[in-house]
Amino acid sequence: MFSTMIRPLLKNKKFVFGISIFLIFLLLGILGPTFYKVNPTDSTWDIEQGPSSRHPLGTDTYGRDILAQLLHGIRSSLYIGFLAAIISLIIGTLVGSLSAVKRGITDDILSAFTNIVLTTPSVLIAILIASYLRVRNMEVVALILGLFQWPWYARAIRAQLMSIMSREYVYLSIMAGYSDLKLVIEDLLPTIATYAFMSFVLFINGGIMGEAGLSLIGLGPTQGVSLGLMLQWAVLMDAMRRGLWWWFVPPGVAIVAVTASLMVISTTMDEVFNPRLREE
Amino acid sequence: MLKFLLRRFFFLLLTYVIATTIVFILPRAIPGNPLSQILANLSQVAQANPEAIRAAEKALMDQFGVGKPVIVQYVEFVGRALKGDLGTSITYYPRKVVDLIVPVIPWTLILLLPATLTAWWLGNTLGAIAAYRRNTWVDKWVLTTSMVLSQVPYYWLGMILIYLFGVKLGWLPVQGAYSLGTIPSFSLEFFLDALKHYIMPFLSIVISAMGGWAIGMRVMVVYELGSDYAFFSEYLGMSDKRIYKYAFKNSILPQITGLALSLGGVLGGALITEIVFNYPGTGYLLFKALTTLDYPMIQGIFIILIASIYLANFIMDFMYALIDPRIRLGQGE
Repeated sequence: MFSTMIRPLLKNKKFVFGISIFLIFLLLGILGPTFYKVNPTDSTWDIEQGPSSRHPLGTDTYGRDILAQLLHGIRSSLYIGFLAAIISLIIGTLVGSLSAVKRGITDDILSAFTNIVLTTPSVLIAILIASYLRVRNMEVVALILGLFQWPWYARAIRAQLMSIMSREYVYLSIMAGYSDLKLVIEDLLPTIATYAFMSFVLFINGGIMGEAGLSLIGLGPTQGVSLGLMLQWAVLMDAMRRGLWWWFVPPGVAIVAVTASLMVISTTMDEVFNPRLREE
Repeated sequence: MLKFLLRRFFFLLLTYVIATTIVFILPRAIPGNPLSQILANLSQVAQANPEAIRAAEKALMDQFGVGKPVIVQYVEFVGRALKGDLGTSITYYPRKVVDLIVPVIPWTLILLLPATLTAWWLGNTLGAIAAYRRNTWVDKWVLTTSMVLSQVPYYWLGMILIYLFGVKLGWLPVQGAYSLGTIPSFSLEFFLDALKHYIMPFLSIVISAMGGWAIGMRVMVVYELGSDYAFFSEYLGMSDKRIYKYAFKNSILPQITGLALSLGGVLGGALITEIVFNYPGTGYLLFKALTTLDYPMIQGIFIILIASIYLANFIMDFMYALIDPRIRLGQGE
């Protein structure tokens, strides 16, 4: 596996660049709050101060430390992104592979369902659901986001598995009396593993972006600190019109850096493993 | 072609019915009944202006059909919505939700449509150019920039632009769709004022939306240029320009579908951009409704927004049917 999968990736400069940036932010999120022990919600009398030695990234209107908020925010946003991605991946894989294996009426119903969710403006429905929930923790936000971003993935998986289903080795397995579950796990899922991983990466992006969007209109997590919440506070206090750049620039940079690096990882994987896109 | 359009129409209609049913069911299905909370809030402040608030409460109970069976409530809800009655706003009581939403819709359309179409067109052109010049510096530059830009949230770019061009350089107005104190009219003066306010929200959507289209288009054109008909045309000695034209035509079709599918997300981003710019559109109204828990207004906005997305979807299906010869000539889908 190392020589066929990992090595060609590590030879790709873009991939190495993308994954390095991502790992840096992952480490910042995981280890940052442990090393930089400032409480992100502690108010101080240093109000709206620019970066200084005491507050490396300055403070907000309540004198809270921006760097501490940023580190905790990266952690929560990644957490929400991962959780939403796992939910989407599970639903999408289930729906897609059930469609392909069962065919017939099951496939018709699931495909219609997928198409309906795909055409439904999910952002709006997510906003609507969130607006009715008075208390939203990180997990609930991830769930709301994860429930809506799987359809395109389910469709792709279904199409791909449909073609695999007509291969000879699958016929042999069916003749050998494999149960549907065993068939899916042993014969089908391995063929879509790379694609699933690439989609997972994009789902994380969807989760991080979705959290930021929901938070900005005041429907983000009701406790904790996330990158979206930081942006929301900055907008509420009009940080951009009052020139407090150290407040709204860092969370945005973190969002762009994390999601763009994941995007690079996903596209370079496509380039490396997809023969039609491979560079000559 | 007619068959295709009819099928799409009924599919979208069905989806719309499902979506509005969700809009209807949600407040009734979520534990902790948000309605009873609003009613409780209302009665707490009832001393302030008891009559008005009691009237608002009654309107709210009426509208949500408190105490009636859910089916009856649903029939009433649909019946009223079909007549164009989306209820009464709580925050702006006794104004009708429809009367509040209709005036802000043009502002959202004026911002959203040109920005989205410009981004789509620019992105596709850049992506195609990158694919024609694959592995040259043009391609690498377009790809890298697009990759980063596609991940920049519209509203964050908006914040940066406000800070740079509004606050630091002072070139452009920092908020609203026109200067405070001016009244919207069809004069040149107002037009120029509105135009100045328009530049930053417009650019923040265009710049951050075009990256995604460029990436998608590049991959699509690369695929097309690597397919048999492209090679065959090349062996026939067809000019590159001509082959590019074919590749472009074939690649633009999926991009139209993509545009239809991305509308919901684009709208979401634009709504938030409006909030950042204090731009008097639907997003700003929605934001106010959300912060004051004005549920009739929230519902009304969603029913209209979702309908307009499906309408746009249908228009795009129509365009697709016109452009794609396979549908126009009635061969399969």
